[in-house]
Amino acid sequence: MIQKKICMLGGFAVGKTSLVKRLISGMFSEKYLTTVGVKIDQKSLSVCGQDLLLVLWDLYGDDDFQKVRASYLQGASGYILVIDGTRKETVEVAGKLHELARKTIGPVPFVLLLNKHDLVNEWVVESPMVSDLSDQACLVSMVSAKTGEGVEAAFSALSEAMLKS
Amino acid sequence: MERTPRSSPIRPSTGYDRGESEDFSALRRLLLSPEQIQLNRLRQRMDTLVIGPQEVSRVLPDAIRLRAQQDNRLLASLLPITQEALALSIKQSPQLISDSIAPILGSAIRKAISRAMREMFQSLNQTLEYSMSWQGLQWRWEAWKTGRPFVEVVVLHTLRFRVEQVFLIHKKTGLLLNHVMAEGISSQGEAAISGMLTAIQDFVRDSFQQGQDEGLESLRIGDLTVWIEQGSSAILASVIRGTPPVKLRDFLQSTLESLHVQYSDSLKDFQGDAAVFLETRPHLEDCLQAQFVKKRKGLPVVLWVCSGLLLALLGWWAYQATLSHQQWTELLKRIAAEPGIVVTTIQEEGGRTVFHGLRDPLAVDPEQLLEEVGYPPHAAGFHFEPFIALTPEMVRKRAITVLQPPGSVEVSIEGSRIILTGESSHGWIARVTRSASAIPGVSEISLERLIDTDVKQFEALQVELEGQAIFFFPGQGRMPDRELVKIQQVKFILQELDEKAIQLGRKPSIEVMGYSSPVGTQPINVSLSERRANNVLEMLNEITFQVLKLSAAGKGVDPDVPSGSGGEQGYSASRRVSFKVVESGFPLRREVGARSEP
Repeated sequence: MIQKKICMLGGFAVGKTSLVKRLISGMFSEKYLTTVGVKIDQKSLSVCGQDLLLVLWDLYGDDDFQKVRASYLQGASGYILVIDGTRKETVEVAGKLHELARKTIGPVPFVLLLNKHDLVNEWVVESPMVSDLSDQACLVSMVSAKTGEGVEAAFSALSEAMLKS
Repeated sequence: MERTPRSSPIRPSTGYDRGESEDFSALRRLLLSPEQIQLNRLRQRMDTLVIGPQEVSRVLPDAIRLRAQQDNRLLASLLPITQEALALSIKQSPQLISDSIAPILGSAIRKAISRAMREMFQSLNQTLEYSMSWQGLQWRWEAWKTGRPFVEVVVLHTLRFRVEQVFLIHKKTGLLLNHVMAEGISSQGEAAISGMLTAIQDFVRDSFQQGQDEGLESLRIGDLTVWIEQGSSAILASVIRGTPPVKLRDFLQSTLESLHVQYSDSLKDFQGDAAVFLETRPHLEDCLQAQFVKKRKGLPVVLWVCSGLLLALLGWWAYQATLSHQQWTELLKRIAAEPGIVVTTIQEEGGRTVFHGLRDPLAVDPEQLLEEVGYPPHAAGFHFEPFIALTPEMVRKRAITVLQPPGSVEVSIEGSRIILTGESSHGWIARVTRSASAIPGVSEISLERLIDTDVKQFEALQVELEGQAIFFFPGQGRMPDRELVKIQQVKFILQELDEKAIQLGRKPSIEVMGYSSPVGTQPINVSLSERRANNVLEMLNEITFQVLKLSAAGKGVDPDVPSGSGGEQGYSASRRVSFKVVESGFPLRREVGARSEP
């Protein structure tokens, strides 16, 4: 079985952990996020007839108190960039994290997820704001960790892109 | 190479030009005809291009390698074909496949079975070893109390260290390359654990600003230790319970180095497919080492006590058996030697040994023999018929029983003759002579060595009496008063003689003999001696004797006194009265060791 390391990147409270929880029920406590800065889970799935084991590195949301450790990005085959559609500032954070990822692990596939689609009426993030990122992402999707909308499809798309790359 | 003519202006065509053109054509043919021919051939070949096997065989290996480096599409294309081909091959030639994989599978199966057997025996050994000990009982109680299997409790208590899990992790990605576990260990989420171990290392490394080559070497929580060996491309994380020895670390490091050498390319090119690292399993399983607390040499206290008791019991049993054997041997020896007992058969009856045979009633009681040799009375019995034994010992015993000799008499047997030695009363001797002939086995009795004490005493009294003398003054027939004391002494001797004579059945006579000195005439001296004898006899007759008969006789001058021995004073010893014991008309002669009268 092929294993792939992917990282969940995004600003503070954009819903990375909730998205992971939508996909799997992890074995490690969330307190690791605030202590070690990362929580790791694994998820088996089949993409294009290929069995794949995703090792999900849920990195602590970047904020003023704690920065994402670049070392955690090492060896990742792809990453998921998460933006909170209700908070503009998360777009900027996502851009910085994208730059960090590019710098650390190179041009690996990533998907851009605009989370909290269940609160679409409250969204302040518009398409032009994320156009730079959208152009480079292998998938841009509006998802909801609350309803589960688009979550599995996003992971599958990233998996497929990683296998093809 | 494209050739460019030097600048030449374009001009209209002329006749000269035609001739010139032909010349150029001829020149071109001359100069370029070989290349032209080759070009024509190539064009023809390109027009009718068919790639032959030879051409493909030359480029195929490199083509496959280059394509595989680019992506997995070639692999994906070949996979179904390869699978079908393999399936068809197995179906058509199973033996060929079997022969091909047998060396690999055989070794792997042997190793797996060996490992399983080793673990099973180790577990069994431990279980058995601690099953019956005091500690084992305590652990059984703990297992019952906690609901855990007994084997698990034993392992926990006796474990020095045990490598429970080994993770081979790709250093760059943190992805799990391979993972092995000891028997009985369960685990899940190995890939996530692998990632977390990597993350923690990164965290520590970043936090303390250590270089990439530095890493966390050890984690410890409770009884668990995680040793992390760092390699250039992979790390080996070993989860260990207990306290591992330092040399284990060397072994782990050596294993990791070995894996680096063997899988250097695979580690370098790792893209997430860990299939190639499945072959590392034997190496990782070698790391699943364990060491248990060595049992103290020697036996536990309980076993010591039990062994001691057992030995004591065995010793006691051996002692009893030996003692019993000795007692039995002694009993047989004593019974065989005992006079008056004849054993004919020995039988086991009702759990005890019964002696059958004959026994003289005077022989020793066999129950007494049992007591003397210490043989258990309940273990032996006797069934003897009575008989009279004529062995010397029994004859003597019977003689003693019948004769009842006093302590001063020794009874011995010579053939059928009883010999009595010592001293005894006259009455006992008389009885012996009567009853000896009634003893079975006795034909004669010898009294030669037996002294009759009554006769002896009689003779002693006789000697004492005959030694007495009562002296008189010259010419006096009347006994002086001073001799009265002697009269009393003589009376006492006579009384005893009277008694002894009665015991001996004798009737002796006592002759009171009077003597005078030679002074004077014969008739006077005879008369004087008679008066003296009668005077003493009168005084002695004051008492009555039962058998003694006293008589007085005047003997005249004492013949033992020589004449002329010197004056009146010199004859004082002859003026006397003496005594003589006479029986049946003749005096009794004194004998030493007098024989009893038949």
